[in-house]
Amino acid sequence: MSDPVIRLSQVSKSYPGAGGLFTALSEVSFEIARGEFVAIVGQSGSGKSTLLNLLAGIDRPASGEVIVAGQALHSLSERALSAWRGRGIGIVFQFFQLLPTLTAAENVMLPMDLCKHGPAAERRGRALRLLERLGVADQADKFPAALSGGQQQRVAVARALANDPPILLADEPTGNLDSRNAKALLQVLAELVRDERLTVVMVTHERHAMQRAMRSIQLVDGRVVTAPAEALLHA
Amino acid sequence: MLDTRGLKLLRDLGQHRARSLLVVAAVAIGLIGAGAVLNTWALVQRATELGYRSSLPASATLSVNRIDAALLQQMRSMPELAAVRARLAVRAAVQSSGGWRNAMLYAVDGFADPGLGRLQPDSGSWPPRDGEWLIERSSLEFSGASVGEPALLKLGQGEAQPLALGGVVRDVSLAPGWMEHLVYGYATPATLARLGAPTAFNELQFRVRDAALDRAGVRRIAAAVKTVIERSGARVTAVDVPEPGQHIHAAQMDSLLMTQGAFGLLALLVCAFLVVNLITAMLAGQSREIGILKVLGAGPRQIMALYLSQALLLGVAASLIALPAAIAIGRQYAGFKADLLNFPIAGHAIPWWAIALQLLVGCLLPVAAAALPVRRACRISVGAALRDIGIVTSGQALASTRRWPVGGLSRPLLMAIGNAFRRRQRMALTLLALAAGGAVYLGAANLRSAVGASVDLLYADQRHDVSLRLAEPQQAAALEAAALAVDGIAAAEAWRGQRATRVQADGLDDGFTVLSLPPASAMLRPRLLDGRWLTGSDRTSLVVNSAWLKQHRELAVGSELALTMDGRRQTWRIVGSVDAGLQPLAYAARAALGGETLATSLVVRTGSRSASAQLDAIQRLRAALAEAGMPVASSQLQSEGRRIVEDHLLMVVDFLGAMAWVMIVVGGMGLASTMGMGVLERTREIGVLRAIGAPGRTIQLLVQAEGLVIVVLAWGLSLPLSAPMSLLLAEAFGRIMFPVPAQVMPSAANALGWLAIMLGVSLLACAWPARNASRISAARALSYE
Repeated sequence: MSDPVIRLSQVSKSYPGAGGLFTALSEVSFEIARGEFVAIVGQSGSGKSTLLNLLAGIDRPASGEVIVAGQALHSLSERALSAWRGRGIGIVFQFFQLLPTLTAAENVMLPMDLCKHGPAAERRGRALRLLERLGVADQADKFPAALSGGQQQRVAVARALANDPPILLADEPTGNLDSRNAKALLQVLAELVRDERLTVVMVTHERHAMQRAMRSIQLVDGRVVTAPAEALLHA
Repeated sequence: MLDTRGLKLLRDLGQHRARSLLVVAAVAIGLIGAGAVLNTWALVQRATELGYRSSLPASATLSVNRIDAALLQQMRSMPELAAVRARLAVRAAVQSSGGWRNAMLYAVDGFADPGLGRLQPDSGSWPPRDGEWLIERSSLEFSGASVGEPALLKLGQGEAQPLALGGVVRDVSLAPGWMEHLVYGYATPATLARLGAPTAFNELQFRVRDAALDRAGVRRIAAAVKTVIERSGARVTAVDVPEPGQHIHAAQMDSLLMTQGAFGLLALLVCAFLVVNLITAMLAGQSREIGILKVLGAGPRQIMALYLSQALLLGVAASLIALPAAIAIGRQYAGFKADLLNFPIAGHAIPWWAIALQLLVGCLLPVAAAALPVRRACRISVGAALRDIGIVTSGQALASTRRWPVGGLSRPLLMAIGNAFRRRQRMALTLLALAAGGAVYLGAANLRSAVGASVDLLYADQRHDVSLRLAEPQQAAALEAAALAVDGIAAAEAWRGQRATRVQADGLDDGFTVLSLPPASAMLRPRLLDGRWLTGSDRTSLVVNSAWLKQHRELAVGSELALTMDGRRQTWRIVGSVDAGLQPLAYAARAALGGETLATSLVVRTGSRSASAQLDAIQRLRAALAEAGMPVASSQLQSEGRRIVEDHLLMVVDFLGAMAWVMIVVGGMGLASTMGMGVLERTREIGVLRAIGAPGRTIQLLVQAEGLVIVVLAWGLSLPLSAPMSLLLAEAFGRIMFPVPAQVMPSAANALGWLAIMLGVSLLACAWPARNASRISAARALSYE
């Protein structure tokens, strides 16, 4: 693969636990090209979220290399990681993680204010356009508590796109949605990949979500395996 | 226009309104306490400095038997002296509705522009005209006189004469008349002569040209002036050189305000504890949001700036509330203090630096309190922040609670006890705040007891009910016999007070009062500190009180000193020291001064203890003595004197203890917030309890029990802390008033009283959190995140 936008090389990660050291990831290596929609699948405890955290720079590998959008994340300082996160990636969480005291539009504007993305006077307009793109512009001035789960997740996606990141990471984005909203959200992600060549890496254990991705990376007990996804989902 | 960070800042404060208001209230309370004392100090300093300086106070006052124009002219030509004036000072009495009041009347050679000791006209006529008198402002109410109305005045045995009160003046060089129980008055020499006063001036006052001279330097000049006076043929009987540039009560006021200021700062510190707790709790609830901000690209500095700005905003709000209150209270208190010092305070503005300092402290206190918790919160990893699920108690911590010796207690109660220790830092800060308030409360209670005991001791020595000052010396035996013949008088003893002077190294006299009395006096039994009391054979022996020794540190029991009394110079020996009275005093055997037959005062014991019966007896006694040709100049009930002393002393104690209540209030607020935060953090736990059948009442009791654990621990901690606090307060009181033996441990009554207060604080502080906890529904709690 030429110029992968994400490259992991022999990445391992362990955590201290009550029963000793727990290995979450073991010598994981893979690459993802620009414009790919990749699903990272596996059972609970397989290391999916750990992997996503490493890609987001939220966590550091014990060994190996993590290179995302040209940045060797494993060697950046905490401050540099924060700055990189603001522009290098967008993250969508299972439980939306919107700030409760900001409206939908303000939540989308927040990353722009933090990273000083674009002129201040234009940020609200940009936020409204993103919300429009996600189909929730009419909810722009409502607080998250007044929005449905599906609406909140769309706002979260809009926020993740606020600073034009080349990569979108999504951790179980449909985990807290009903089937209708989940389907709609996956459609949005697919459209973003198609229309804007966004690279989307989505952690999921849901079949219908996995089926929307172009390909899957399967994790079993912290290792990448090559068995068919269907088989793993039924294991 | 605020960006999203500013909006989050404001809305977060609004969302946690109660907590935000609590921080504002805590800072405001602490700031009001400390700020009021600072404002008072600043105002009083400025008023006394400006007021005292502008009054051109006398550097020294010499009592001289003869002052003529030539002597005055000679004084005025001395280059070291900037101003000189002659004064006539006479003891008098003024009749008021309460009887005759002691008075000091002054006449000077030129009221209008003396160049020193300026009087400030307050109302009425100025300067005094012949045939009228002016009263010092602080004596007006005490005297019962009214401007424009005549008052009866008399000098010694002279006839009482009505004199119109022409006006009111302020003399800042004097302590307030009501405090000294003296009516200060001013009249022309001709007016005083009409009352029977001598025509010649009897005091010479001067002001030195060099304002930078210290007391020793002024004393050297006073010695030179004394030499000039004595060369002219006149005699100097006393020299008074006050501390230059300092009002007589200034040092006491400074000590009192400094001590109160220290407690104000302590109250502010206790408020800071509360603010740390509250901000830590606010941040605990923001863990996840901090994680989100980090994920969205916020750096540590941006996050710190956001939360420190919140703290700053709360500080600004607290300062804006506290500052006007601190200014208002400061002005009130300063007015009260100024009355004590007899200085005008109106028209003085609080200095800008005092206001700026209060604003700075108010704004920065929450920022300082928040700095460490914010820094800690910002350091939490993104992963941990996003995974935050409230209180997690480690297995080790839980296991350790099993070893506590609290067998026999129910499991829910054990749970309440354990809950109190789950957030140890928060609990420690709450404990410290409550314990600090308790230490000050108990310390003030101890001081009150110690002061009461000291006053008891002071008056226990004095076995008489009334003391009377005679208009002129009388035969002691006749005096006593005449007194004993009066109905209601159970015992009487004649004493003699005389002025003794001792020549010091700088050539000036050091004067003090020697009280001669029967060695086996039935009216005075002071507590012996060193040496022995007087005996019948003593002729040149002195016993001195501790206040006298404090003034003459170079002398001790066993020392000899040359004294001049009644024109006779003799060497005396100090044979003992006693704990008696607040003013410096020496005692000699009545026979030693050759005054076996002469007395200047009479002390009596009445048959009745009631004040009205005693007053009747005094009136009969005064009438009888006047009829016998032994008129009385003034009299005072011991009980009245004691009440005045106690009032003053206890006022100081109460001032010192007032800060304790500030700390108790803040401590209570801290407990309320700690319990509130605890309930919030354990919402899911409470839901589980509800789900398994715990009724609301039980939940309430658990919360209340947790609060009780904390206050009982705080009470226990405050007991040993009160010991050093008691020592501190006693030491401060000693500097302000007089030394008292420190009562270090609280009495059982005070300790139990404090426990009762703490229990009340706990019930009150935990009521709302307990109520909230009991209203949490199981379903809502279990879905809580």
